[in-house]
Amino acid sequence: MAEGCSGSILQFAPFQSSVDEGFWHRLSSLKLNQLGIDESPISITGFYAPCTHPQVSNHLTLLSESLPPEEGEQSFVRDRSHSNRNRCAVPGILYNTNTIEGFHALDKQCLLREEAKKIWADIQSGAAEKDSALLSRFLLISFADLKKWSFHYWFAFPALVLDPPATLADLKPASDFLSLEEAESLSVACNEWRKSSATADVPYFLVTLGSNSRATIKHLSDWEACRHDIHKLLFGFYDPCHLPNNPGWPLRNFLGLIYSRWNLKSIRFLCYRENRGFADMGLSLIGEALISAPQEWRYEQHVPSSVGWELNRGKRLPRCITLSKSMDPIRLAVSAADLNLKLMRWRALPSLNLNILSATKCLLLGAGTLGCQVARMLMAWGVRKITLLDNGRVAMSNPLRQSLYTLDDCLNGGDYKATAAEKSLKRIFPAVEAEGVVMAIPMPGHPVSIEEENIVLEDCRRLHDLIASHDAVFLLTDTRESRWLPTLLCANANKITITAALGFDSFLVMRHGAGPFRPTQDAENALSSDMENMSLCDKNGGQRLGCYFCNDVVAPVDSVANRTLDQQCTVTRPGLAPIASALAVELLVGLLHHPLGIYAEGESASSNGTRSCEQPLGILPHQIRGSISQFSQMTLIGHSSNSCTACCSVVVSEYRKRGMDFVLQAVNEPTYLEDLTGLTELMKSASSFKLDWDDEAEIDGDEFVEI
Amino acid sequence: MLSDATILDISSWDGTISPSEFIAAAHAFAEKWKLRCRGLPIWSWICCRKTPFISSHEVDGYLSLEKLCILRSDKMEDHGIDDAGKEGLNCSENEECTDSAVLVHESCLEVHYYDLHVVYSSSYRVPVIYFRGYRSDGQPLVMDDIEKDIPANSAKVLMESKWTFMTEQEHPYLKWPWYTLHPCGTNEFMRLLFLIDVSLLEDRVAAEQYLTSWLSVVGQVAGLKVPLQMVDSTPPLTTS
Ligand SMILES: [Zn+2]
Repeated sequence: MAEGCSGSILQFAPFQSSVDEGFWHRLSSLKLNQLGIDESPISITGFYAPCTHPQVSNHLTLLSESLPPEEGEQSFVRDRSHSNRNRCAVPGILYNTNTIEGFHALDKQCLLREEAKKIWADIQSGAAEKDSALLSRFLLISFADLKKWSFHYWFAFPALVLDPPATLADLKPASDFLSLEEAESLSVACNEWRKSSATADVPYFLVTLGSNSRATIKHLSDWEACRHDIHKLLFGFYDPCHLPNNPGWPLRNFLGLIYSRWNLKSIRFLCYRENRGFADMGLSLIGEALISAPQEWRYEQHVPSSVGWELNRGKRLPRCITLSKSMDPIRLAVSAADLNLKLMRWRALPSLNLNILSATKCLLLGAGTLGCQVARMLMAWGVRKITLLDNGRVAMSNPLRQSLYTLDDCLNGGDYKATAAEKSLKRIFPAVEAEGVVMAIPMPGHPVSIEEENIVLEDCRRLHDLIASHDAVFLLTDTRESRWLPTLLCANANKITITAALGFDSFLVMRHGAGPFRPTQDAENALSSDMENMSLCDKNGGQRLGCYFCNDVVAPVDSVANRTLDQQCTVTRPGLAPIASALAVELLVGLLHHPLGIYAEGESASSNGTRSCEQPLGILPHQIRGSISQFSQMTLIGHSSNSCTACCSVVVSEYRKRGMDFVLQAVNEPTYLEDLTGLTELMKSASSFKLDWDDEAEIDGDEFVEI
Repeated sequence: MLSDATILDISSWDGTISPSEFIAAAHAFAEKWKLRCRGLPIWSWICCRKTPFISSHEVDGYLSLEKLCILRSDKMEDHGIDDAGKEGLNCSENEECTDSAVLVHESCLEVHYYDLHVVYSSSYRVPVIYFRGYRSDGQPLVMDDIEKDIPANSAKVLMESKWTFMTEQEHPYLKWPWYTLHPCGTNEFMRLLFLIDVSLLEDRVAAEQYLTSWLSVVGQVAGLKVPLQMVDSTPPLTTS
């Protein structure tokens, strides 16, 4: 770079573009709502201002207001009709293509020539003297990829090329060029010009310096009146460039105008720059350009060649910006969901572990009223991995109570609930990792024929694998006996298990205690040592908490077959399932945050004030029983039973020993489990009080999970 | 002066301000800023016409300061364009790059710009800061970039404070996501601040002082340093 540089080629610092994110947002909505596939060019407005920082150039900026308002749109936030001192409006044109191929295929030289032609025409017609911003006319081509929220774009700032190029006779800071008085006077005049709303956004102007050192600023249209003062005349422009040895791009076409219209070959120009909003004569430059362009420049018909495509880091490449972070609805939904939870953690629960929640894989057995509601609550807590298992189809009566379904799911015989629920969860929150498994749960007391045996065994294995691959299991089926096998498998695998069951106006929500064997033991290999380890105790020496079957005197039987029709058609009050489901999920969240996890002791509301208050989420009960008719709720603790048909050590070790054979026998022989656990004996001796917690059942009997 | 009309009573004060107090404070603040902080970018009141039928905004505008510059000397990492081949100027397409009047200049300065908006929250009845950062070509800065721009001592104040929670939310007027500090702790904080600082203002609190004190803390997140002249409660020398 030449310094002081008398006689060297005058080099201009190219205009730099800056596109506000708001411009792309607005272009997207314009494209979607109004333009469609219309590719016609659009008039846009760019904004620029004099450089206002000694180290940083100003840019030609596009804002959301740069685009025309949408049809029928409420008038936009800012008054876009007026540019201001910091936003001098410059006309531009946008070619937005429908495809990336179309973008690349645009004839860029031709487009540039078109715009240069307009500039030339505005110079020749005198229009540019009335509205000088026309000299900085620009061009933008773009392709808006609205599927990926990325925008490919390329700016051109057309400049008429003087050939041979102008040379520099002199260039120095205005303060060096002018006398102190002149500089002072010019500063005042410029600040005045920039202050008045009538002139603040007029980027080209004439400066006359009187013999009394008085500077006066005039519009280009006042040229005739000024031309006699030619020796004291400066051609001023708002210079976006900050460099000390180069004027900015807007001077190029200005020189063209001056040379072509006013026939000057030696042009004294002022690069007007500011610092912190005020004229700065140290940053502003005054220079003298010498032009020796050929005669053709004098002819209106001749259009000079033009340059101006913006380089991208020194290369002739388009730019690309990706805004998926602020435009992709899925990412927005995820961050909004996260925000709610993070806010909760920040404000109320600093110990809330969102990572545990989002990483916990939940298996929901049953996708009825309870399953739907539990799934929703889990998502609300930030659980992202949900598998729903059910073999039923969505019936007409379901959508009103089962919150994941709509009438559409019932048509044509109904979709599988598991499938419909998966779809629905993803519609509610696309970032959820939901999966639906259509499968029946083998049940004791429901004998199977020899032919069906393989299917049942296959189902058992699938269920076993599903439980193994999840972290928490919810038992939400509508019959008692369908909970037996999952309870056993969970006790065997030591998985967090939560049960919710409904009566007509009462509910039970509980977490199962740990299984009878230490989880460190491998089920198949360490059978003998298991036998020694088996106990009713948890690892702290306390008693194991019971499972759903522990408190039952009666082992699960075929509750459907043995009931009267009336009992089969048990319905529940609609408010029950949402209450129970919510409690079930809250129970899981509490359990996940408890340092002892599945081994945590049961706490009850009455034991308040002891250790219960230590957990930020509150107490961690074992069972919650509630009644809507009484509008009451209580917490209970029930320990594991030695003769439990699902979780006692006899049953679990029998399962470990015999595996599927054992399951088959339990399925086929109604009294096998009771005999095995001694329950048969117990029942004979006791006619105990029995609290009847009916399982949820629906009017249409096909709701029951059957084999 | 506007601030005379907007005086708060500290004794029974819950740390919030009303919409009219906010509007008055915002204008007074911008005016004072212009007088006392010459040379800094100015705050302007952006007027937003109220949308009929949707009365979600009790205040028809917000305070805005744009293009706050932060210079970074370390040149940013490439936006995915291989910088190795600078010779790669592809001249085949036209004569353009033979134009000797074009200056080829690459700045070694990386500039980050910040826009700050102060919006009134009707739900929390406090001012809320919305801000964003971007590079010179308009490319938005992500949270990591922004955190790197915050001076260490400011970061400590902001990140450890229980009442500043940086997040991204839809700008209430512009309708696309901006960074913000969640307002739900603001009133609590402001109340405490003024209880401690009550001597400074005797027993009355000017809403404009509220805005200044608040902004001198939250503004740090977007590189804003509120000059001491703003905090000084004596009237400015240059009165208009
Ligand atoms: Zn049990």
